[in-house]
This record gives sequence, C-alpha cells and structure tokens, in this order.
Amino acid sequence: MKYSSLLVIGFSFLVFFSCKKESTTPTVTPFAFVKPAHFPAPNYTFVGNEVTQDRFDLGKQLFYDPILSLNNTVSCAKCHDQAHGFSDHNIKFSNGVDGTLGERNSPALSNLAWYPNFMWDGGVNHIEVLSVAPITNQLEMKETIANVVAKLNASTNYKTKFKKAYNIDLITDQYMLKALGQFMGMLVSSDSKYDRVYTGKATFTASEENGYTLFKTNCVSCHAEPLTTDFSFRNNGIDTQFTDLGRGQITQNASDNGKFRVPNLRNITITYPYMHDGRFFTLAQVVDHYSNGIKQSTTVDPIFQNTTGFNFSPTEKLDLIAFLKTLTDNTYLANPLYQK
Amino acid sequence: MKNIKLFTFLAAILILLVACKKEENNPSVAETGTVKLMLTHRWDANNSTNFLLDLPLVHPVTNDTLTFTTFNYYLTNVRLKKADGTWWVHPESYFLVNLSDTTSFELAIPNVPIGTYSAMEYTLGVDSLRNVSGAQGGALAISNNMFWSWSTGYIMTKAEGISNNSSSGSFSFHLAGFEGPDNVVTKRTFDFITQIPLTVKNGKIIEVHYLVNPMHLWDNSPSVSVLNNIATTGNNAKVMAKTFYNSIIFDHFN
Ligand code: HEC
Ligand code: HEC
Repeated sequence: MKYSSLLVIGFSFLVFFSCKKESTTPTVTPFAFVKPAHFPAPNYTFVGNEVTQDRFDLGKQLFYDPILSLNNTVSCAKCHDQAHGFSDHNIKFSNGVDGTLGERNSPALSNLAWYPNFMWDGGVNHIEVLSVAPITNQLEMKETIANVVAKLNASTNYKTKFKKAYNIDLITDQYMLKALGQFMGMLVSSDSKYDRVYTGKATFTASEENGYTLFKTNCVSCHAEPLTTDFSFRNNGIDTQFTDLGRGQITQNASDNGKFRVPNLRNITITYPYMHDGRFFTLAQVVDHYSNGIKQSTTVDPIFQNTTGFNFSPTEKLDLIAFLKTLTDNTYLANPLYQK
Repeated sequence: MKNIKLFTFLAAILILLVACKKEENNPSVAETGTVKLMLTHRWDANNSTNFLLDLPLVHPVTNDTLTFTTFNYYLTNVRLKKADGTWWVHPESYFLVNLSDTTSFELAIPNVPIGTYSAMEYTLGVDSLRNVSGAQGGALAISNNMFWSWSTGYIMTKAEGISNNSSSGSFSFHLAGFEGPDNVVTKRTFDFITQIPLTVKNGKIIEVHYLVNPMHLWDNSPSVSVLNNIATTGNNAKVMAKTFYNSIIFDHFN
C-alpha cells in the first residue's frame, strides 16, 4: 500500500514534468526593454513582438544592412548614424540611392517607443510599419518590399536568423518589419546629465540651471519633460509661406499647414542641422530664432502670435544653450548594444 | 496488493493522458462545413458583361472607355447570423480580391458549425484596428502593394488602367481612409429569405454567390475626363468607394 502511494507521487511528478510546457513561465531573461523610472509608460510595448536578444540582433543587422535598398547601396544607418544621435552626418538633406537628395532633414532617433506617430508630419502611425517608408521612398532606398523579402530569403544567414528569432521558415515582410521595429523600440536614451539631474543624481552648473529655468518657462509647453516633446504638431514660426505643408499634407486640413511634430531634443548638440529642412546649423541660430526671429503666418502657434520671440538677453541665450548641451547622452551615443 | 498497484499504475497513465490532452492534436468533435463566397465580377447596368482586366469597357453613364489593368479590393470580417440571432465569427477573416488572379474570387471559410444561418455580413475594406496595429501578415502583408507608407493605412480598393477620355491617358484610384469623416470602410449585411437560409452541412461546401460590379464606382463620381486620380483620403475617395461597396448584391446559393 505504501509502495503504491509512492508510485502515485512518482507519477504526479511525471505528470507535472510532462506538462511543463504549459505550466511554467519562461525564466526571466536578462535581455529586456527597461523603462527608465522617470519616463512615462511607453506607447509601444512590443505586444506580438516580445523582446528577445535574437530579435533585437536581427533588427540591428537589418538596420545596418544596405540589402534593404535598391542595388544594396544604402542602409538605414547611413542616414541614421549612432555617432550623430542616429541622425545624418551634419547635412541638411540626405543622399539616397544614386545620391538622390531627400526633401527633409533626417531626424535623430531615440526613445521611439514613446512616439505616438513618426516622421516630421506624423504620417506613420506605428513603429513596425515605419521602415516601409524609407525602403520604398524613391529618394531614399528606392526598393520594393517584395524585392527585399526575396533578397532576404535568398540569404542562408538571414534564413537562419529569422528562424531563430521568429521560428519561421519563409521570411515575410511582416517579420522583417517586426525585427526592425524591435531594434528601434529598444533605442532608449535616458542617461544625459539632464536625466541625472532630473533624477537627483547630479546638479547643474549655475548657467545650466538658469538655462533650465528659461527652458521650463518658455519651451516645455511644446518640448515637454522629460521626453522633451509633447508629440503635438505646431508651427514654431520659421516661415510665413509654406513650401512643405507638413502636418497639413497628412490631414489635408489647411489649419495644419506648416505644422511639424515637436522634435525630441535629446543629443541636440550633435544632431545639427536643425528644423525639418535643416535650415539652422547652430544652436545659437535656433535660440536667436526663438528670441527675435519668429515669423507670423496663418497657423503660427498661439504662443508666438504677434511677437517676434522671447527676447532673450545675450547671457540668457548662452545659458539656454548650456542647458541644451546637458541633453547629450554619451552612454547612448557610445552604447555597444546599438553598434554594428 | 498487486491489483492495487496495477490499478494505481493504470490510473496514473490515465491522468497523464488527460493532463496532457491539450497538447495533442485533438480533432474537433463538432460537425462543420465550408462556406465559400463566390465573387462574380460584372459590368453594365444589368450585370450583363463580364468584368475583365485589359479589355476596353464602355461605362454606360459616363461613356468613358476604360481598360482596367489593376483591380484589387479587400473583403474582410465575415460573420454569419445564427438562428438564435447571435453571430458566428470567422477568425482572422481577411481576403484580398485581385482581378488578375481568379483563385482570389473564391473565399473559403472552413470550420463553420452546421446549421442554418439567416444572414451574412462582411466588411469592404480593412477595419481601423488593423490599420493601426503594426506589421500584419497574410492578405494584409505590405508586399501586396495595398498600403500607404507616407500616411499609414491600407488602400481598400485599387483601380488602375488606361483611358483615352482621361487627359493623362490613364486613371488611378487608390481608395483609402479608415477613420473620421473620410472612412470608406463599409459593412454590408445580406439577409437571406427566411424560407431559403444558408444551410451548412457536415463536411459539405455551400457556395454563396455575389455579383460585384465596378461600374458602380462612378454612380456618383464624374468621368475620368474630370477626375482621373485619387491618391489621398477624402470625399472623392469616399463617394467612389461607397457607391461601389453598396452595389454588391447577393445572387444565389449553390
Ligand atoms: C536616405 C536617408 C535615409 C535612409 C536610408 C533612412 N532614413 Fe529614416 N529618415 C530619413 C528622413 C529624411 C526622415 C524624415 C522623413 C519625414 O519626416 O518625412 C526619416 C525618418 C525616420 C524615422 C522617424 C523619426 C521621427 O522623428 O519621427 C525613423 C524611425 C527612421 N527614419 C528610421 C529609418 C529606418 C529603420 C531606416 C531603414 C529601413 C531608415 N530610416 C532609412 C532619412 C533616411
Ligand atoms: C509652440 C511650440 C514650441 C515652443 C514653445 C518651442 N518649440 Fe522648439 N520646436 C517646435 C517645433 C514644432 C519644432 C520643429 C519645427 C520645424 O522643423 O519646422 C521645433 C524645433 C526645435 C529645435 C530643433 C530640433 C531639431 O531636431 O531640429 C530646437 C533645438 C528647439 N526647437 C528648441 C526650442 C527651445 C530652446 C525653445 C524655447 C526657447 C523652444 N524650442 C520652444 C515647437 C516649439
């Protein structure tokens, strides 16, 4: 009798183990998306594209691989270089396939998981479909999605990696886009001096502190803390007439003409030139614009109506720039995780 | 003693079997059949002409001569109304009908529980959720070329071709818009005659035939001499899509 109860216990164990797949959750992997404590909840939570090292690595490989372009000449990283905060190499407009010039300044990339939409005009609504735009843009990578998928399927290297990452035998655009989305979603910049001050781990110099005060008074209504953008579309008074309709092109509403998504200012010191058309090459020019260069137009932001700007003193300008420099995140810029 | 041991052993095996059942391929015991939507594409006011690509067709109202080179549209979210008034929902119900591929005119819906259904509902276009949820697969894969990358969203209906009536010699209508006043997505419900409901029998295929007539794109839209291109959302796209979607008619069962 004793013997048989032992048998039952033994079998119970067997039941437990043979059904293990169903009952245990995978052990915590060290590789994960970590939300910085002082950031709000992200917009993209990797649902259906759960973070794994294999997926991230695959996305990174794609990001650095010109295979995504016609003639395999241009990679995402060409216009989005980590050393420049994932923007282009200090040029107004980027060269695509065959050197063709684009029409907008390549934005710096960071904290994309918090973005509700993408591009200067917000035309793209999801991080996973974003890559379709540069790949198929005639001025950028000039390739078709079907061609890219065919090229990837012809590569044993990629076939192996997609199998490992997503357990698929045939590579499809869906998973290529998810991998790229995962890499981009993992680009988190949260260790600038500004962040360390924000979280009580460092202190500003007197000049930076004064600049921060000016920033909080004049800029955060658009460049909201701590992400330095509220993601709204605004006209910050750089034009009287609009050659690029910006948000208006997407909504087809004249009241949105000349409005652009408030940009994220992280690593701003090294992501020049500035604005959607790269018209300003220095932060001094940007600050001068906000000080006295505001132009009036039909859609200029209410904050800037009937004024040429905040009229900063020369010291205030320097302080503001000193503050903007604290947004440089060297940990991010040198993070080996994001390197090729 | 020996008997008890044997009994325990057998019981344990039984537990093992039952406990792990979920992992096995457990063939469904429910009886089901297949419903097939059969789309017949026609032209002319009384659906008397076959609608084909690469063939000049004269529009009976605008008098334009139109030679279509592409005609694609999404048909999605098929549901069937049960006798008790509730709906059976086809999971992952996304179809891309492509006029250059006749196999895409037959939309098979397997595993439909047997019984009678009083109505069928489906959506022309892609629901807003799938337009905002990132990279999709199957009929919704971006490689199908029914997607706008510059202003995210699916092209619900794409009609392209050539026409001497158009100043550019061609026409291109990309009808999209999944939200707000520009939404073109259209739900259609087809109530079957009470005496002749849709009857699904075990292991059998029942065909439900519909007539689709692209002539109706122009029910309330002008000749290609006036409007030969739609490449954004807006009223033009909405009017064109709606008259087309609302013209689809149920023909018969087979
Ligand atoms: C030829 C240069 C070029 C290439 C190559 C390129 N981009 Fe870009 N990228 C740009 C430009 C320019 C914009 C801004 C476009 C706009 O706003 O209309 C942009 C915008 C973006 C944005 C939106 C950022 C924001 O602030 O909303 C992301 C993310 C991005 N690109 C990722 C990628 C990825 C991923 C690839 C490769 C698949 C890629 N880019 C390839 C130039 C490029
Ligand atoms: C009314 C909203 C608003 C306010 C207030 C505002 N900005 Fe901006 N800012 C924008 C918008 C919108 C852009 C992008 C405009 C464009 O590209 O056409 C921008 C662009 C910038 C850029 C260039 C970013 C880049 O990547 O190119 C910097 C730097 C900047 N702002 C700093 C500031 C500072 C400093 C202040 C306060 C003195 C300030 N902004 C106040 C809306 C605002």
